[in-house]
Amino acid sequence: MPNPKVTNNIRRLRFDNEEMTQEELASRAGCTRQTIIALEQGKYVPSIELAFRIARALGVTLEEVFQYEETSR
Amino acid sequence: MAPLQKRALYSLGIGVVLAIALIMVFILKGDVTTFDEDQGFRLIVYALWIGVPLAYLIIVNLTLRKPEQVDERDKLIMGRAPRVQFLAVIFSLIAWVVVLTEVFRDQGQVPVIYLTLIMISTLIISTIAQSVGILIGYWRMGSHA
Repeated sequence: MPNPKVTNNIRRLRFDNEEMTQEELASRAGCTRQTIIALEQGKYVPSIELAFRIARALGVTLEEVFQYEETSR
Repeated sequence: MAPLQKRALYSLGIGVVLAIALIMVFILKGDVTTFDEDQGFRLIVYALWIGVPLAYLIIVNLTLRKPEQVDERDKLIMGRAPRVQFLAVIFSLIAWVVVLTEVFRDQGQVPVIYLTLIMISTLIISTIAQSVGILIGYWRMGSHA
């Protein structure tokens, strides 16, 4: 059975964006810093809405931030 | 630490302190039969009874005053916490029923004080379990910073 997994490049993209802090990204995307931490650790998958807000805050497209992988269990 | 996580910790602290306070009142003032005879004892119990929801409301207002302090992840964690709360309340009620039935089976009646005790303990357990549920949610989603 496929086991979908969403990964992200938030940490790298933050550094590409003049070393944007987690706090700054959280403020721009309208979430808490703890959510950014959880996302970077791969322990939380955001809603579509938050995913778009994060992509816009980082100035890139959704797929540059989030990737969808399908692996077998 | 997220504001909701902070609130859960405060609520857990208050719940534990109130539970200990209640047990201490009963130890210091005598057993449950004192409740019927001692008006001061009843007043202390009623004060604790009112104190629980009041303290809880104050904490909620102080720590979650701004709506932007809670995002979708916090709401998700908050939404899952009632599972823990529900189980804790159900198990505490089962425990009360079993214990009271066994203790008062011969008398055929349960003293009125136990109604208050069941209500207070359920409220305290519910508050503690909700906080525990929220803290478990944060722990599982891996943000301790």
